Amino acid sequence: MTDIQPSLPLTIISGYLGSGKTTLVNHLLRNANGRRLMVLVNDFGDLPIDADLIQSRDGDMINLANGCACCSMGGDLFNALVDVLDQKPWPDHLLIEASGVADPARIANIALAEPDLKLDATIALVDAETFENHADDPLIGETLTQQLAVSDLILINKSDLVEAKAMENVSFKLGTIAPNATRIETQYASLPLDLAVGLELASSEKKAEHSDDGDHSAAYAKWSISYDRPLDREAFEVALERLDGRVLRLKGIVRFKGNDTPQVIQLVGRRHSIAAFDGAENVQNGLIAIGFKGSLDRSLLDEIFSNV
Amino acid sequence: MSTTIFQAKNIVTMDPNNPQATHVAVQDGRILGVGDYQQTSSWGEHRLDKSFAGKTLLPGFVEGHAHLLAGGMWKFLYVGYQDRIDPDGRLWKGVLTLENVLERMREVDAEMPAETPLIAWGFDPIFLMDRRPDRNDFDSVSKTRPIVVMHSNFHLMTVNSPTLELAQYSASSNVDGIVKGDAGEPNGELQEMAAMFPIMRRLGIDFRELGRTRDAVEAFGRVCNRVGVTTATDLINDLDDEAVENLRDITGTDEYPIRLVPMLNALSQTPPETAKRAVAIKAKSTEKLHLGGVKLLTDGSIQAFTARLKWPGYYNGAPNGIWNIAPEQLKTLVDTLNQSGVAMHIHVNGDEAVEAALDAVEYAMVNHPTPDHRITLQHCQMADKAQYRRMKRLGVCANLFSNHIYYFGDQHAAITIGPDRASRMDGCRSALDNGVPLAVHSDAPVTPMGPLTCAWAACNRLTASGEVLGAEECISVEEALHAVTLGPAYTLKLDGEVGSIEVGKWADFAVLEDDPFAVEPSKLKDIEVWGTVLGGVIHKIDD
Repeated sequence: MTDIQPSLPLTIISGYLGSGKTTLVNHLLRNANGRRLMVLVNDFGDLPIDADLIQSRDGDMINLANGCACCSMGGDLFNALVDVLDQKPWPDHLLIEASGVADPARIANIALAEPDLKLDATIALVDAETFENHADDPLIGETLTQQLAVSDLILINKSDLVEAKAMENVSFKLGTIAPNATRIETQYASLPLDLAVGLELASSEKKAEHSDDGDHSAAYAKWSISYDRPLDREAFEVALERLDGRVLRLKGIVRFKGNDTPQVIQLVGRRHSIAAFDGAENVQNGLIAIGFKGSLDRSLLDEIFSNV
Repeated sequence: MSTTIFQAKNIVTMDPNNPQATHVAVQDGRILGVGDYQQTSSWGEHRLDKSFAGKTLLPGFVEGHAHLLAGGMWKFLYVGYQDRIDPDGRLWKGVLTLENVLERMREVDAEMPAETPLIAWGFDPIFLMDRRPDRNDFDSVSKTRPIVVMHSNFHLMTVNSPTLELAQYSASSNVDGIVKGDAGEPNGELQEMAAMFPIMRRLGIDFRELGRTRDAVEAFGRVCNRVGVTTATDLINDLDDEAVENLRDITGTDEYPIRLVPMLNALSQTPPETAKRAVAIKAKSTEKLHLGGVKLLTDGSIQAFTARLKWPGYYNGAPNGIWNIAPEQLKTLVDTLNQSGVAMHIHVNGDEAVEAALDAVEYAMVNHPTPDHRITLQHCQMADKAQYRRMKRLGVCANLFSNHIYYFGDQHAAITIGPDRASRMDGCRSALDNGVPLAVHSDAPVTPMGPLTCAWAACNRLTASGEVLGAEECISVEEALHAVTLGPAYTLKLDGEVGSIEVGKWADFAVLEDDPFAVEPSKLKDIEVWGTVLGGVIHKIDD
């Protein structure tokens, strides 16, 4: 990717019926924290937005007081995406709540093909209680495993409703279906915004202090580093490989030796991309990462990334 | 209250009480009498119209599964392998070689203003024996104008270099569906929606819009008229207020030659909203616009390997297809719609989708028994005999895609589902023998609209290569004609109004140059259509 047009980041939320997609969407909209999220809902369900968030309705579009919006796709992803992209200004981030049987890879592919979109992440939810039954269902099992196999992050939702042993089985099975996805146990699909749509880069003027949204602070930790020099690309890529699942997401802007164009680094789970930075604002060079409190080893990350 | 008596060479009424006639009396758009001159004139003062003295009248054909897009597509250049006639009667000969395709495109290119994209449709490289075309071929038509050639299945396109540039596709594009050539550059072939999306968006190719314009709806009427259709469905439509008003307006004129039956898309809102909307718009129906039915989409298509198949799945080992709605949700949806008395048309191609649909219907009927619901399985191509027996017990109708036997039968036997299951495809005999109400359809523009062709395919089951596919599923000419008249009328709950030439029904006729019973069954599709009569108004095909 060498395109330097600004493009709209897209996160896909997939998962079978009852896995908690709607709950996640509401959670993210409620905790948007100043980011303007636009959610396209691809299910022929209600526009599932908590009433207290809604400021106004305009046909299929719901506008929220915090600048976010939610829109029904009416079963037509093509037209919904054309409408979003044709309307300026764009939101900060686009989310698609896929239908329970949609193949997120097909949606992700649109973001890869369309120059005005960039794929941020594919998140799948599973209901810890019903997952095994659904995965074995001859009618939909394959569809669900396909959803999971292409995901970056898998939320094992309703983790509080199953015994530890059952949770182990679910986790093991998910590991075989989706070996490259990172698994996160959640209750009420309460995934921090930074994990769902990515970390915000700190601008030079505003050294952003990320306030962990409340109850998550116990479970997740952050780490960051700043650079005032260009990096060696080869060494940097080796460093990314060394992460090996130790962080859930990492984002940053760096400069590589011999290239004046700042590069944006995105890592979700085990997938990363490096592309020419397409933002206009002046952003400080550095990296920021979020991971599980238990496995995010700050001193190790310092070591990995200071010598690149 | 004036009465017109149409005199014909003969009239095939599809009414067993009175199967053949020579005269039909029409008053106020409805059939007053059917028989000979003496019988029909005994009603009193009349005008005798001998326009059809040398013709055969049949009930106006009913196309139970088509799309308004069949009119809208003609905005683009047709480059298909099969002959097609456009809404204005121009015969577009099938293009048999790639060079033919390019010649046709060069002719159009020479007359188009610069910058305007050249968009073609109906392309089918599998029939062009030479080779698979790429961007260089279309660059030879124009190196400056964007060129898009949609393939006949609408899942693929081949484009020229300027079009690839529009989407910024290059050797470094790493997307499923952007096909690369030997040198690693995109070769111009783009597969599936994702890869086609940036092109369609930038060139404004919007199939939904193509079926909504006044031009498209009017062209659709002409497409129907040319093949003797007087009642036709549009089997998926968003039917917002604006669309309903437009359709009322366009169909409301005497010039518009058909009764239109658009089906609301049941997957674009919640089940209760769909039910509410269907009931609300039903009240806006007119004599020529019949609203209130809905379309449900379950799986994809067999030739695109997206249909849901039962074991043993696809013959070539392709993975099972896709659901557009989870079987579990389908149950809720069918149940909700059934409770509101909404007529349902359920798209099912593979046999697993048939099973899921029947499970949903059974669930809904146990929950809320509905006499005479006439839920219709659309396409229903792979149903086996056990499924037909179950359809009978559940009161479900089958609208089968008989044209598939001709257009895709060879591919189904060789590639998609193998020879044994291909032989039972679109099993008209099985449907009838098991007492399932039967219709056959074209799914235009997927295959060209033409009820006589659909009937021919159901009678003869010939594939494009000339093989008979599943001879035991052949039906008689009479049964096949029923399946393009009363059969589909029944699936639309319009069999009291159209589908046969009987007293009290609308005076809707297909006017044919030959009697279908007087020609060999193998010649059914070759019978020429003179035009139609709709509600007593003559619609001769424009020359």
